[in-house]
Amino acid sequence: MNVWLRRYAALVRSAWLVDLQYRAAIAIWMLWNVTEPAIALGIWWSIASQGAVQGFGRDDFARYFFGVALVNQLTLAWDAWYIDRWVRDGEMNFRLARPIGPVHEAIADNIAYKARTASVVLVVWMLVALAWPVVRLPFAPGRWALFALAVALAAAIRFLNGYATGLLAFWTTRATALMELQFGISLFLSGRIAPLALLPPAVASVAGVLWFPYVLSFPVEVLTGGVVTPEQYVRGFLGQVCWLAVWWAAYRVVWRRGIRHYGAVGG
Amino acid sequence: MPAAIVAERLTKTYQVKVRDAGLGGAVRALVRPRYREVRAVEAISFQVERGEIVAFLGPNGAGKTTTLKMLTGLLYPTAGRAHVAGFTPWDGGSAFKRRIALVLGNKQQLLWDLPPEETFQLNQAIYAVPATEFQARRDELVALLDLAEVMDKPVRQLSLGERMKCELAAALLHRPEILFLDEPTLGLDVTAQEAVRGFLCAYRARHGATILLTSHYMADVTALASRVLIINRGRLLYDGALQALVARMAHTKRLELVLGDGVSREQLAAFGEVREFRFPNAVLEVPRDQATAASARLLASVPVVDLSIQDPALEDVIRRAFAEGTEGGA
Repeated sequence: MNVWLRRYAALVRSAWLVDLQYRAAIAIWMLWNVTEPAIALGIWWSIASQGAVQGFGRDDFARYFFGVALVNQLTLAWDAWYIDRWVRDGEMNFRLARPIGPVHEAIADNIAYKARTASVVLVVWMLVALAWPVVRLPFAPGRWALFALAVALAAAIRFLNGYATGLLAFWTTRATALMELQFGISLFLSGRIAPLALLPPAVASVAGVLWFPYVLSFPVEVLTGGVVTPEQYVRGFLGQVCWLAVWWAAYRVVWRRGIRHYGAVGG
Repeated sequence: MPAAIVAERLTKTYQVKVRDAGLGGAVRALVRPRYREVRAVEAISFQVERGEIVAFLGPNGAGKTTTLKMLTGLLYPTAGRAHVAGFTPWDGGSAFKRRIALVLGNKQQLLWDLPPEETFQLNQAIYAVPATEFQARRDELVALLDLAEVMDKPVRQLSLGERMKCELAAALLHRPEILFLDEPTLGLDVTAQEAVRGFLCAYRARHGATILLTSHYMADVTALASRVLIINRGRLLYDGALQALVARMAHTKRLELVLGDGVSREQLAAFGEVREFRFPNAVLEVPRDQATAASARLLASVPVVDLSIQDPALEDVIRRAFAEGTEGGA
């Protein structure tokens, strides 16, 4: 087996073993991440009781927010908080002394966590779909493949966005505050609280020039049938690739400069 | 053969934000931040030959750990050069990091919730150690450090001494040629300290490893190091053999006595400075060049059951070296 495959297999295995020690904490965190789309669905379900809202009926909202719960679980990015702690407490030191960059541990950690929690969300979705036909999705392997690609790109963008922001801890103690600010803004601009089509045009146009829609709304709409035409697919994937390149470049710049600026506090 | 570690005028300065106390100070720091330059390490130069064990000594904040971090590539120096195992540490990449190990006494790399074996296996993959070699090295380290009993216990349930021994084992599985140890016996009880020291000596004897360590425990220094580097306020004050430092800095000798009946403190004071007097034990301090003559006079005129001539405690010697700013070395 290739050296890097062995490394990733070992890192993912360790992350799973550690996660097993924190089963309850992970279950609560997962539940918390599902709570937000569940509340949003409850609100829009109630609003749509009088009829469709700009073309969105109750069934559309149900499918959309189930999609949000799944995609959010698959693209979550918490690395900024870890990096901030590593830099401030000196836990970055032994990671820098290893022959692999700390980013690989973070990627493996993401793979381990997301594979497990997303599979739980998928199973729950399937069980709910058995009893509640409105959240059933048509059998469309082609669309699912495109969805998988869109989710992979979205996860990569969110990861690099979070990682690059976290690396600002090399300079400032407010890196996590910046991440929380982005998280707050994404509530509206990524489609977490409402489908982007329902946002005021001014807000939707701001969202259109940022990365937020590409990390949540776009993959969800690929899955639920909101993205239909080839132009919509091309625009969506092109946007993802562009933002991936932007955050990759940001990560490289912040890493290279940050590591030179690092004070290596503590032992 | 080139030296294992070469530091040439290695310097590290930090910009530290200065803030006055109180709310006003906090607001002023926000509006008009002020910075002060702190020289953590100032133009220090030294070499460590292959297979040498060298102790880095200095009070807290002297610059020892900063130097260690520059030599392991964690920190970029502000000025100066370094070569470690033939690499420039901060540009050495993974090839360099496979040849060194860094153990930090107050930070651990062991996976806290899992048995040490899991960290060992993770390090096997990270350092790409072939399976057969890994098994042999693991077994050797487990035997040398007496770890068989703890290999299946979660790290969080191990004692501090057991954890440090596991840290050392985890850091050495890739068989590094140079070990950087920052306070490896910090907080350990005497037995655990001795176990760690014994292991380091044995490891160096078996594999010819070069060791640069920092420690506050003089017992580490005397047991392990043939040479010491003394650093204070970022400047290298002394680089040389431990015995030469003692000879240079210790202007006195200690006469440790077990006295016969009836000897008083006042009687002893005629032979030197009485540092301790707890009958029948006493310690006299006399000028180094008069130690033999003073001992002879003492034995001739006072009932003495036992007498030994000792160098002053190493702690005192080092403290004096910090205070006097000793230059050069042996």
